[in-house]
Amino acid sequence: MEKKYYKSLEELRIAPDEFQNGEMLGDKKSLLLMEQELKQSTGPNRRDFLKLFGFTVASAAVAASCEQPVRKAIPFLIQPEEVTPGKANYYASTFYDGNDYCSILVKVRDGRPIKIEGNTLSAVTGGGTSARTQASVLDLYDNARYREPLNQGQETSWEQIDAEIMNKLGEISGRGGRIVLLSPTLISPSTKAAVDLFKNRYPGTELVQYDTTSASAILKANELSFGKAFIPAYHFDKADVIIGFDADFLGTWLSPVEFTKQYVSKRKLHEGNKAMSRHIHFESGMSLTGSNADKRIVIKPSQQKAYVAQLLLALSGSAAENPEIIKIAEELSTAKGRSLVVSNSQDAETQLMINAINELLGNYGNTLLTDVHLKVRQADDAAMTKLTEEMAQGAVDGIILYDVNPSYDFPDREKWVAGLEKTSLKITFNSVKSETSETANYVCPDHHYLESWNDFEVKTGHYSLAQPAIRHIFNTRQAQESLLKWAGSEKDFRTFIQEYWQQNIYQTDLTGFVSFWNKCVHDGVYVSEKKETPVPALDISAASAIASTNSVIVADDSYQLDLYYNVSVGSGKHANNPWLQELPDPVTKICWDNYAAISQKLADEMGLEDESLITINKLGPFPVVIQPGQESRTVSVALGYGREKGGKSAVGVGVNAYPLMGFAHGSRQLQTIGASIEKVNGKFRLARTQTHHSMEGRQIVRETTLAAYLDNPKSGNEIRDEIKKHLKTIYPKKEYAGLHWGMAIDLNSCIGCNACIVACSAENNVPVVGKEQVLMAREMHWIRIDRYYTGDPENPELIRQPVMCQHCDNAPCENVCPVAATTHSDEGINQMAYNRCIGTRYCNNNCPYKVRRFNFFDYTNADALPGNLYDTEEMTVDLRKLVLNPDVTTRAKGVIEKCSFCIQRIQDKKLKAKIENRPLADGEVITACAQACPSQAIVFGNLNDKESKVSLMFADERNYHVLEELHVLPSVGYLTKVKNTNV
Amino acid sequence: MIRLLPLLNRINRVGLIVLFTGFLMSGNQAQAQTPEAEKNFQVCKACHNIDGPKLIGPNLAGVTERRTTEWLIKFIRNSQEVIQSGDPIAVQLFEEYNRIPMPPNPLSDEQIMDLLAYIKNGGKVAAEFAQAAPTDEQVAQKQALIDEMQAKHLENEARLIELERDANRNFGTTFIITLIILIVVLFDLLVTKVIKARFVHSILILVSVFIIGEILYKEATMLGRQQYYQPEQPVWFSHRIHAEQNKIDCLYCHSSVEKGKSAGIPSTQLCMNCHNVVRSGKITGTVEIAKVIESWETGKPIEWIRIHNLPDHVYFNHAQHVQVAKLDCAECHGAVEKMDEVMQVHDLSMGWCLECHRKTEVQFTSNSFYETYEKLHEQLKSGQIKKVTADMVGGDNCMKCHY
Repeated sequence: MEKKYYKSLEELRIAPDEFQNGEMLGDKKSLLLMEQELKQSTGPNRRDFLKLFGFTVASAAVAASCEQPVRKAIPFLIQPEEVTPGKANYYASTFYDGNDYCSILVKVRDGRPIKIEGNTLSAVTGGGTSARTQASVLDLYDNARYREPLNQGQETSWEQIDAEIMNKLGEISGRGGRIVLLSPTLISPSTKAAVDLFKNRYPGTELVQYDTTSASAILKANELSFGKAFIPAYHFDKADVIIGFDADFLGTWLSPVEFTKQYVSKRKLHEGNKAMSRHIHFESGMSLTGSNADKRIVIKPSQQKAYVAQLLLALSGSAAENPEIIKIAEELSTAKGRSLVVSNSQDAETQLMINAINELLGNYGNTLLTDVHLKVRQADDAAMTKLTEEMAQGAVDGIILYDVNPSYDFPDREKWVAGLEKTSLKITFNSVKSETSETANYVCPDHHYLESWNDFEVKTGHYSLAQPAIRHIFNTRQAQESLLKWAGSEKDFRTFIQEYWQQNIYQTDLTGFVSFWNKCVHDGVYVSEKKETPVPALDISAASAIASTNSVIVADDSYQLDLYYNVSVGSGKHANNPWLQELPDPVTKICWDNYAAISQKLADEMGLEDESLITINKLGPFPVVIQPGQESRTVSVALGYGREKGGKSAVGVGVNAYPLMGFAHGSRQLQTIGASIEKVNGKFRLARTQTHHSMEGRQIVRETTLAAYLDNPKSGNEIRDEIKKHLKTIYPKKEYAGLHWGMAIDLNSCIGCNACIVACSAENNVPVVGKEQVLMAREMHWIRIDRYYTGDPENPELIRQPVMCQHCDNAPCENVCPVAATTHSDEGINQMAYNRCIGTRYCNNNCPYKVRRFNFFDYTNADALPGNLYDTEEMTVDLRKLVLNPDVTTRAKGVIEKCSFCIQRIQDKKLKAKIENRPLADGEVITACAQACPSQAIVFGNLNDKESKVSLMFADERNYHVLEELHVLPSVGYLTKVKNTNV
Repeated sequence: MIRLLPLLNRINRVGLIVLFTGFLMSGNQAQAQTPEAEKNFQVCKACHNIDGPKLIGPNLAGVTERRTTEWLIKFIRNSQEVIQSGDPIAVQLFEEYNRIPMPPNPLSDEQIMDLLAYIKNGGKVAAEFAQAAPTDEQVAQKQALIDEMQAKHLENEARLIELERDANRNFGTTFIITLIILIVVLFDLLVTKVIKARFVHSILILVSVFIIGEILYKEATMLGRQQYYQPEQPVWFSHRIHAEQNKIDCLYCHSSVEKGKSAGIPSTQLCMNCHNVVRSGKITGTVEIAKVIESWETGKPIEWIRIHNLPDHVYFNHAQHVQVAKLDCAECHGAVEKMDEVMQVHDLSMGWCLECHRKTEVQFTSNSFYETYEKLHEQLKSGQIKKVTADMVGGDNCMKCHY
């Protein structure tokens, strides 16, 4: 039976004939109507204007004989040896923003970092990246960055500010006062050493770590279980059965890039792999991870503990009531030592039970390592709460805020702000304006991470380095150097790290420290043999006791709240990044806002519809989104929005949901029970990329189940043989003499993390258009990830499909261009010559995939006429423009653009091969999207080479082309999605 | 018109090319003094003689006996590193030669050994490669012939350029005169009615409209192009003196032309390699060189005026054309070595690019990259096609230059 796919609930409800009815267009005017209006209106219209304009320009051109501007060519005074003008250098570095870690390469063109790529040498992230990592290069050119050190808001010099601060710090610590250094989890060993130096100089200094995305409960549970607060190393790549309780490990939980890589390695079915892991996910709102699960079970936040307890009971031999749990327990028992159960619960008791479950399953030592620790998110939530209390009592004399913003993201903001006011000395290292830093006495702006030296130990023995890829743009100074300076050391931080590594990390070998150090800087990563001390065996009796008293699943009828971080804006630190703000959410496809996701049931009860407004606990108003798969009485809201200070794109976007967080069991709670929800009059428009690009009722996505696949590899893709029979043409088949580029996308590997979209935007200078334009369906992304729901709207399955230009060999767009601006290349690429395009948009209309994008305005300041500029997000100010890739033309108003298969990367690698006098190797050319992908779902290569990876994927029986029946012969192939559902 | 020139330049280097072909055929690279060494020595030549008068750096005769090979390899590759490491010989040399740094040379060990063998051999390539080389007399004869032809050609070229410029300049006047005629005729036709015969009006209107249209069209296509652009540079730098008289290889200054997109304009430091010593010239005396020295001392780079400009939507890569396609610089830039002030000789229009792509052969058999084009190789072997030009491997595709 054919599954029915739908993109929104409206689509599911409304019969197709209604869709064609003009009424469905809502407040949008029909084109016909607009034309009639235009005809009735008198006075000059656009055409007259164009006629006049054309004549004026032509005559002006002749009359003025068009003076050419004088262009300068300014060489270096002393040319650095490694710099070849026009050639990119790559430097290994590390992205760590206090939450997420990623080992990266920084592409530097003529002195400017312009792109982030994954570092394939890393044993942790293995060349993968996340959307935020990709976008972080734009933060370097953030307008809201501090440009000078500030003393009470006045610009000052480093010498003066140092003298004053050292004086005050000395005075406080001299009289035995308290100084607090508040930072997110520090995973840099050298920074910790620098903090220790600082503490020695100023006794009475205390380091408090504060993570916005905290794992406080896991730490506490492990302390109870093993006597040590740590996060173990997880190995999803060794797990055949994965059970997740609300842990969005593919999107935001602990180390998502690493976990994605591991997870997907167990889900790939080509290259001879015949087995797949099974993933069952319990959650309340639809998350990225839940939407990828083989089975998703909707529970209330309040029920998580009971479900976990039942699972523990079932596994330890007691009788469980819930049939789902019994089945899961059976599945788990068959995969002892090859399974993994994780939870994001902020309740230590639940985490304790999770530990016990993993212990019973023998997962410790296999999929969970206690001798290797994950070092991120080590902060204890209670410490921050205690600090806030103390500050409110005026017990803290000085506070140094390092990369934190509690005035925005601490739930009890009033108390924190009041405490901060009572603290006499407030120093901040924040490099970007924020709610907290704007209230500080002294602003000592830190470098951006791409301007800094740093080191990291993300997992036990897994070290990595960050090196500057550019000289600091503004008069800033690295925070560690400030600490060292105040501690009385004149060392620069690079020397400090080097010395630290020589003493603590380097193990004497024959080549000596200098070559060791150079290799580490070159590779960006170093793995030592270091292991943590072994922990005692786990005693599960405490957990069992908890389980037996908490195992009743209560059908609580109150409203519940489920706060979450999304993959784009995250904790809100990167809110002033237009690339991230314009990134559609992987589930709802909404950008530029957060919203309250509710179930259809709740909507019906309260008389709500999409874009209605509600308040939650009197906070809001939040626009409503009716989300398939949402728990009936749970409201999900993304954190990280509603910034009040921090730049054009951050301020006023969405509502700050942090005040909704609760505090219980010693941890800040993302999920709370008993929320009050009230309807507010009015509506708020949300920018969705959802209802455009619809591919009505055809087999665009194809999927099957593992059992069916093992039985017949073609299952789900049977229709392809039928289609192939009918493909007939009177034209000769196009042949490609040398190279024929193609792309294969494994739908089984794609998890929808959006890293490719940002990577594409960075590589190809794809403009940001802003919310208003997205509302008019004018977003410019060259690659989009379509998502379709299927099945029961109360708990649907979800399937995603990345779509970019399919580079058809019989491209329908090419035939209709009146000026031959889009043509086919001898390497199978559908080319687009922007300077030739006159903007008829015929190609756009004739493209069956709707992947062409039209520049309705001049979004990039590439146009000769200043009046055409449309830039709501300050993307065309000089500073921001430094991120542009000089190899790719910025497009002016009135031209079509689309995916070019990263032609500049192809040409670059071809030239390299030619210079080295050798054929191009398979896998040498990697498009930006494929490079960024943490799951290697996208494979690019030469289809003429029958041995290439992409050819082998094209030959796979799962391979199909979208709309193949049109005989457009796309160069992009998809492998059917296989779900492990029928166990 | 200038099409002959590159050909001549090629003949000019005939020895080199013949040798090079020999070298490619022999495939013997590891041993000694290949033509590649001769090419690499062009860079050394700017400061070093093997024998004869001492230039900026020491003479190289007997250098292989004076120093160890290991030391030489290190020093040639990056002299500053050796000096900074405190090597006594290096430091002494540095002091002796007025602290002028020798720029680093990114050569492999083999390439340097090769170069040393070439120096040891007194600046001659090995006999096996030299076999095909003509005798001195032949070379001299050929050279004389080439010089003569070149001189003639240049004369012609200069005249043509002059003519074209004049022609361009006249457009404006013609346009205005024609426009006046048109207005007068129209005025007469409608108001004064002096000329009774109407057909005179018609003819004059038709002719002037045609001329105006033609000029408009020509001017419009010329928009944004800068053929014959010859701006005055901040420093009167003569390529004729440097490249022709002193025979400094183009690559000595434009060193990234084989590696990257841009040919590179030399840094002041590179100028100072020679001008630390050479402080006055025959034509301008000390005036112009002083500007370079000033730049060095004040730390302000010289702001040259860019002559060859391409629009932003065009991607052009020098390495592709010079290193891969083995084109001579003069193919696009004209005889720069004959120019005191550089002028753009071609219009750099798309038509001009494509014309060349359609007729220029690619290094199809010598570059292994093209092995992928199996079918073309077969056709070439069977004689179905005579040659493979750039457009046959996609050289006329839009996205070769526009992306």
